[in-house]
Amino acid sequence: MKVKVDKTLVASIVLHVLVLGWGLLTFSSKAYIAQESLPVDIISSDQLAQIMAGQKTGDKKEPKPKVEKIAEAKAEEDAVGKVTEKKELIKTNSTPDTPPPKPVEKPVEKKPDPPKPVAESKPKEEPKPQEKKPDPAKEDPIAELQKKLETKKPPPKPVEQKVAAVQPQQQPKPKERTFDPAQIARDLDKRAATRHELTGAALNASASLGSTSGTAANNVATWQGAFMSAVKRCFTPTYNGQDADQYEADIDIYMKIDGTLASEPVIVAARGPSRSIAQAVAESGKRAIVQCQVYSFLPKQQYDTWKTIPMRFGLKDML
Amino acid sequence: MNRRRFMTLTGSTLAMLGGGHALAQKRLEINPTEFRPIPIAITNFVPGSPADGDVGNGVTQVITNNLKRSGLFAPIDQAAFVERISNIDVAPNFQNWKTLNAQALVTGRMTRQQDGRLKAEFRLWDVVTGQQLAGQQYFTSPEYWRRIAHIISDQIYEQMTGEKGYFDSRVVFVDETGPKERRVKRLAMMDQDGANVRYLTRGADLVLTPRFSPNSQEITYMEFGQGDPKVYLFNIETGQREIVGNFPGMTFAPRFSPDGQRVIMSLQQGGNSNLFVMDLRSRSTTRLTDTPAIDTSPSYSPDGTRICFESDRGGRSQIYVMAAGGGQAQRISFSKDDNNATYSTPVWSPRGDYIAFTRQGGGQFSIGVMKPDGSGERLLTSGFHNEGPTFSPNGRVLMFFRDPGGNSGPSLFSVDISGRNELKVPTPGFASDPAWSPLLSATAGQ
Repeated sequence: MKVKVDKTLVASIVLHVLVLGWGLLTFSSKAYIAQESLPVDIISSDQLAQIMAGQKTGDKKEPKPKVEKIAEAKAEEDAVGKVTEKKELIKTNSTPDTPPPKPVEKPVEKKPDPPKPVAESKPKEEPKPQEKKPDPAKEDPIAELQKKLETKKPPPKPVEQKVAAVQPQQQPKPKERTFDPAQIARDLDKRAATRHELTGAALNASASLGSTSGTAANNVATWQGAFMSAVKRCFTPTYNGQDADQYEADIDIYMKIDGTLASEPVIVAARGPSRSIAQAVAESGKRAIVQCQVYSFLPKQQYDTWKTIPMRFGLKDML
Repeated sequence: MNRRRFMTLTGSTLAMLGGGHALAQKRLEINPTEFRPIPIAITNFVPGSPADGDVGNGVTQVITNNLKRSGLFAPIDQAAFVERISNIDVAPNFQNWKTLNAQALVTGRMTRQQDGRLKAEFRLWDVVTGQQLAGQQYFTSPEYWRRIAHIISDQIYEQMTGEKGYFDSRVVFVDETGPKERRVKRLAMMDQDGANVRYLTRGADLVLTPRFSPNSQEITYMEFGQGDPKVYLFNIETGQREIVGNFPGMTFAPRFSPDGQRVIMSLQQGGNSNLFVMDLRSRSTTRLTDTPAIDTSPSYSPDGTRICFESDRGGRSQIYVMAAGGGQAQRISFSKDDNNATYSTPVWSPRGDYIAFTRQGGGQFSIGVMKPDGSGERLLTSGFHNEGPTFSPNGRVLMFFRDPGGNSGPSLFSVDISGRNELKVPTPGFASDPAWSPLLSATAGQ
């Protein structure tokens, strides 16, 4: 009745248990860390606001109007006035909020100059508004017309006033260049008021049209999604044959913590029926990665997770 | 035995553990759903001498036009250029081109040689990585500068897309002039971009359905001369022509085989027509179909093993596929939404993946493509009258003719096989029945 025990079998079982147990512990701890850190740190307040925002064409699940916010919308008229005043001050002191005038300035007669200043002049906005000398010529006839037609057209007046208001204030600018802390304080106050109004408008929209089926699905809530969106902007593949779904390119990306590339992306594999087309897809993906950097939005605290980013570019949805 | 088993199990376990990191790093996948043309900067070709300025600018313009019309490239306006290229042998300052979001940069130089020839050099740069992707030089007679521009365009196209280009090619078509009731139809040929139009016939006789040889400067077409209409062979370079075969009845709808050694066509017999193929060397003919129906518009698959054609053997005109030597034909066209729709003028793509056709249904003529098994039908354009598709040498673009009706006349159009980028092809007058040549560099005698 003795049961013969195979020593090697026992040893095998014991060793298996040890190795598998050690492996399970190692797996669980690493996986746990990776899962825990992803969703929490990424969602910013802006993204949260977008998730809550609805679509204008969506159903009104909560048709209750919020009167308070409608009232805030009226205050936007004040904001307009404040904004114009800010522009005047900004022109004299610094260059913080100049993007709006840029497109207007480009077509101005600076193009005949050598091409270099065209690109370089984009960030330099200060001299351009001053060059709007033809505008003053418009002021005089407009002002005269205003005087003549004071009773006829009340609506256009505010528009004309804005133009007229900008120009006379441009002339005394040199006088205002003297440093005045009180003036800065006034600017800051006005900015704060504007922000309140904008915030009110956004909240009003979400309250009336927001729903769980709004734009939440389009929002990016992980660095992976944000990174893919950024690279996709620069990815311009061209192939559209019926076998497009068979083309794939694997590229490994090595990143620095500042969101730039640590080295040139490495094409690991390029697959597809045509070698030249597969290579073109891979090169296109590589160009996209390089062209769309810097990826400064990547969360630094999770650098370990995106220090190396393996990517796959495909064409399966191209047709 | 147990020891071996132990070693195997331990090994597999350790492999699982080692692969843990690889599994954790799943590849991020990007699968775009739409085309966006590649931004490319094409600088004026630097003239080797002041006298070469015009030809340099001309080459630049032709390349820009080619790439833009392909729909796959977005040439950047030269007015936005920050850097002016004066020496193509020096690497450009790529930062200046990155600011324009250019992915590629083309530089070049045109120089007239002492022997009178023109030397064309070009470089294609990857702006993003700063690497030279291509660099070539060509010599040619000055009058062929446009062809050099087309060849350079093909080089750029191939380098950036991985596909062969189609710019160095020609189109033969039927030029139509005069009032509708007395329309004069001449055989004409031009570059694929509409330049260098040449008239091959004088218009005394009606000509139809011209088709290029795949590997020589020959055209086959149908002409209504004295007696029955016949299929002719026409040598573009010598101007010589000859009747294909000596059939008793009308022959029509000819097309070359992929090797250029045979011509397949229809022969009218009573109220029916059947397909025949003639070997151009031995002049022997072979009957491919024998049905009491109209079988016509045959077209070979690029490997020459199969034929697609239209036939009304089922009651309505539909597209069939059969072996190149004849035999059982299989119908592949089935309209999903219109049982009365008819399909005609099938033509097999040079890359073999699609068959283009004309579809008539719902009061409209459409140009479309389907896979050789009949699946994946896709209509690319529809209207009052669209007909006669022909593929570009790389199978990427279709050209066809459109007749708006009334007292007007037909014009040529091109469209990508995905249905995008429909463009009118410039012709001197009304034009119909286009047929695209293979790449000139791929044909003999060039």
